[in-house]
Amino acid sequence: MLRTTAGKLATAMRGSLGVTSTRVVAVRCLHGTEESAEEFDKRYEKYFAREGIDGWEVRKGMNDLLGMDLVPSPKIIESGLRACRRVNDIALAIRWLEGCKDKCGDQQATLYPYLLEKITPTLKELGVPTIEELGYDKPELALKSVFDM
Amino acid sequence: MMNSLRCAGCRLPGAAAAVAAAAAAAKTASPSHLATADLRIFRRFTHHDGTRAMSGTREIVGYGVNGSPNYIDCADFPFPAIRYREVTSEICAMREKELGDWKKLSLEEKKSLYRHSFCQTYSEFQYFTPEWKLAVALGLWSVAIGLIITLLSNAMIYDELPITYDDEHRQAQLRRIIQLQMNPITGISSKWDYSQNKWK
Repeated sequence: MLRTTAGKLATAMRGSLGVTSTRVVAVRCLHGTEESAEEFDKRYEKYFAREGIDGWEVRKGMNDLLGMDLVPSPKIIESGLRACRRVNDIALAIRWLEGCKDKCGDQQATLYPYLLEKITPTLKELGVPTIEELGYDKPELALKSVFDM
Repeated sequence: MMNSLRCAGCRLPGAAAAVAAAAAAAKTASPSHLATADLRIFRRFTHHDGTRAMSGTREIVGYGVNGSPNYIDCADFPFPAIRYREVTSEICAMREKELGDWKKLSLEEKKSLYRHSFCQTYSEFQYFTPEWKLAVALGLWSVAIGLIITLLSNAMIYDELPITYDDEHRQAQLRRIIQLQMNPITGISSKWDYSQNKWK
């Protein structure tokens, strides 16, 4: 109940505060020069596609992206998945997918199928399972309470 | 080698190669203890050393929070500094297999690789638990206990209120305050009209 109330409040706030695309652009400003969405996507695609990228840099890029107020575009997601392949870390790839799904927020019903449709060829090519295939869209294991250890 | 350097806080691009070259050069020039001494220069002593010791044989895979090798499941920061589980021979074998084609890995293997790196999935750590009920209950209980203590103290511990609390004494006090012109700017006396001897 608390969550639904908070969700409704957030939606109301969003409407009244007017978070528009211009504001997103403002966030992405780098020292006065405005960066368009395409340039932003290209920058991160290039970042993940760099030769000799290591796990630290992949994690750094993904942590940064998932901390921003945006949904990564399919191109960035694919590029990130390929970076995971290059550093041979499938766990990272699955977590990255989960993170991108989580970034869809309350638009998950519309955005996530779109993203999935766009990145399916890459997923097939690399052999990365989707979250649904793994059964990670629902809680699988429960944590033991620290008081029972 | 790479990993031990990273554990030592060494994270410059190409540093591993440079250090390895330096070590090799030192090895050829002098006995091996000098080479280890050279390496020790790169060791930083930080307040994360305790955490690092506790992280055991877990592989350090990122910078983490303030450079501390901690594990945390959090949507704002989904890739923590260390892998969740310690290295075992089984997981080493599986990671060898991971180097090859991922399509050849079974779903179980992919899952166990994931669980090696991460403790909980997104849907698990974001699952809404009914823990808030306990928090609310504890809050209400403490308020209730506080109220009971207040009522009991009033009934059984404290004396009767002094005589100055009755209406007559308080009226006299107010009269005195006005006569002494206390708080004449914004306070009680500013509301008293002294020329007509009544409230404004």
